[in-house]
Amino acid sequence: MNLRLTGLTKRYGAVTAVDRVTLELVAGTTLALLGPSGCGKSTLLRLVAGLEAPDAGGVAIGDHDLTRTPTARRGFGMVFQDFALFPHLDVGANAAFGLVEARVPAATRAARVRELLALVGLAGLERRKVTELSGGQQQRVALARALAPEPRLLLLDEPLSNLDASLRESLKLELRSILTGLPAGAIYVTHDQGEAFTVADTVALMRAGRIVQVGTSEELLAKPAGPWAARFLGHDNVYDTAPQGAHLPATDGALLLRADLTRLGEPGTGATDVSVATAAREGLAWRLKLTAEAWGVTVTWRGFDRELPGHPAPGASFGLQVPPEAWRSIGSDA
Amino acid sequence: MQRGPVTHLAGALATLFLSAFLVVPIVVIFARSLAPTADAPFGEGFIAALTDQYYLGRLAFTLGQALLSTLLTVALGLPTALLLARYRFRGKRALTAAFSVPFVMPTVVAGIGFLALVGPRGVLGVDLRNTLAIVLLAHVFYNFAVVARVVGGFLEGVAPRLEEAASTLGATPWRTLRRVTLPLALPATLASALLVFLFCFTSFGVILILAPAARFATLEVEIYRLTARLLALDAAAALALVQLILMVVVGFIYTRLQERLAVSVVPGDATRAPRGSAHLLLGGTLLVTSALVLAPLLALSVQSFGSPGSPWPTARNYLGLLTQSHTVGFTDLWHALRNSLGFAFSSAALALVVGFLFAYAIARGGWRWLDQASLLPLATSPITLAFGYLLAYPALVGSVWGVPLAHALLAFPFVTRTLLPAYRAQPPALAAAASTLGAGQLRVLLRVELPLLRPAFLTAAAFAFAVSMGEFGATLLLVRPEFATLPVAIFDRLGRPGASNYGEALALGVVLMALTAAVMLVLQRRGRSEF
Repeated sequence: MNLRLTGLTKRYGAVTAVDRVTLELVAGTTLALLGPSGCGKSTLLRLVAGLEAPDAGGVAIGDHDLTRTPTARRGFGMVFQDFALFPHLDVGANAAFGLVEARVPAATRAARVRELLALVGLAGLERRKVTELSGGQQQRVALARALAPEPRLLLLDEPLSNLDASLRESLKLELRSILTGLPAGAIYVTHDQGEAFTVADTVALMRAGRIVQVGTSEELLAKPAGPWAARFLGHDNVYDTAPQGAHLPATDGALLLRADLTRLGEPGTGATDVSVATAAREGLAWRLKLTAEAWGVTVTWRGFDRELPGHPAPGASFGLQVPPEAWRSIGSDA
Repeated sequence: MQRGPVTHLAGALATLFLSAFLVVPIVVIFARSLAPTADAPFGEGFIAALTDQYYLGRLAFTLGQALLSTLLTVALGLPTALLLARYRFRGKRALTAAFSVPFVMPTVVAGIGFLALVGPRGVLGVDLRNTLAIVLLAHVFYNFAVVARVVGGFLEGVAPRLEEAASTLGATPWRTLRRVTLPLALPATLASALLVFLFCFTSFGVILILAPAARFATLEVEIYRLTARLLALDAAAALALVQLILMVVVGFIYTRLQERLAVSVVPGDATRAPRGSAHLLLGGTLLVTSALVLAPLLALSVQSFGSPGSPWPTARNYLGLLTQSHTVGFTDLWHALRNSLGFAFSSAALALVVGFLFAYAIARGGWRWLDQASLLPLATSPITLAFGYLLAYPALVGSVWGVPLAHALLAFPFVTRTLLPAYRAQPPALAAAASTLGAGQLRVLLRVELPLLRPAFLTAAAFAFAVSMGEFGATLLLVRPEFATLPVAIFDRLGRPGASNYGEALALGVVLMALTAAVMLVLQRRGRSEF
């Protein structure tokens, strides 16, 4: 059954951390709550878990209201940012913690723990002390522990943020495959758009306590809900007013130029001529800052050598070829 | 790190001090208690003391009261610790500070505070003097903060987050308490309980003041009486040896526990505001504990302004202190104050030097074993130490140097413990940078390391000062009458009959309490602004 949040609100003094959030999570899918730090996404997750009480609004599974149900009886598993493993218990006992609370018989418990540790790649480490594990291993124990009692919903609070970059890359693919195999749904809180797009089916973009936009990664990238969303999702060329002389249909709000849909050619071959202001190597690719003098704007452009008509020395001149679909009107921020 | 000649000089001097003023006196006690005498061969005297019915009784009482005191302290301190770790509320900082007040108060102040509360002339009208109850009460009062703060501080960093994790796994609050919080608190509780046990095991001032009857004498009190009153040094040596052995065993277990404790602490604060019925629980518990902690000190302050037969507050007790004492052998306020301050300044200065030598030699490497050795004075009771001085250096006892040396020895571990973390926190690159600029080890010390240690030195000085101001047992055994300190002057007055002597003792107690509080306040103020 689907998880439904209706009008969830949480205030701390004068600050509204979560502001009338209404969301639905389809059973069996993963939703990422994506937003900058301090946007209220962790608080929203804690409201869902029942670790905080909302000032208004409700949490329900299907038609079953859970707003007043204590955390222990919600049946939601959670993976914490700092893992929160019990230091007085070994790996096996940590993983079995929820099974003991659920009064699962000891024999079944041991089998389930074995199965889960195998799933997260820690088979045979039952008797190990959790304080002797690496960060990545601790993260895996935390995941196994949350999954063991078969929660009807899994909540993950920035589970990879305490790990180093290379580990993060490999673990996020692994998490994706584990979460896809789950019958339960999952909510994944992160501030990293790459993580959100890799792990989740649906992404909810959050800003200042509110949900700005909900959609698949393609939808969000193609049609960001406003200039803030566009910039946060990684678009470089967002213009609050239309560049003069670009011959664009009139719009009220901001304009997005998707540089990934444009091409560079010889001068005079495109919509406008641009000159190279700076050129920086990013591995095999180039990152160019181009000045479009006729339009009075700067365009950031990325691409490989074969996509360039010549060497991009500062001052070099190219023609910027812009198909109509590269321009998108994205309105303005609320 | 460089280990130049300066490091070795510091290490050697530290070793020398420890050997001369701790190891030698203890060895002399060993020798004295085991040595053959005219009528007993080697070890016979020691065995005789061990099998003596009376001494066995004293040992049993000492262990028993220490055990009971520890159990009571934990029973009261643990719930408070759990609440402090869980909730945040207005005034929490002030309250935890208030809990620590008894612990930093001199034993004599604690003792006289309980007399003012439940003594023969106490404000409550119940006379508990010479009962086991008053001893236990005073011990709980004294050590409550050890359990509440050690366990509370340990849990505050970890428990709330782990409790949340437990609740997401289906554990109700009671189940969480049983399966997560209490098991987590266990090592810290055991460690603090051992510490409390050590303090109660060597209880001296509290017993001497509140339960002077022979049946309440601890080993420490017995050693004092055998030495100072009966001059039975052989029996005293045997008892001191028994006590030392027991303390070393408990101390050893404690340090092992400490090592285990150090592993799992991940700092972080996740306390929350209390909700609903938690208010009641929190308020009730804190009310009871703060009443216990503050009542004796309040009673002392109030009663020091009282006088028999008059319902109005008067300053008679204080005025009595200012006039020249009419009883022979009493030290008046000015002399007691002068002696106390003089000893405190000189012993604090010495403790700073010695404590720094230890910290420097340990932090600079090569003298790692001094780390454990610097804790030894804490495992030696003041009476044993002073008794060792009597045996090893009889000349010291007659001079003004005995007291400052003993105080410095008892205080320098605190100095080392304060300086060491501050020293280790200094980035090694600073010393390296100074040496690339041409500074030798001594110049690095003078121009870089010492200036950076200034705040830590101030804190350490306040610590050492407070230890010396409040020290009672060793002073009582070592001091000449004309150099009596405030605690000794208070004790002298309590030993004589008469309301005016009692009144003056109360007034002196308030002076000592105020002085200690002032030093602690300086310590806290400094601590906050300079770190």
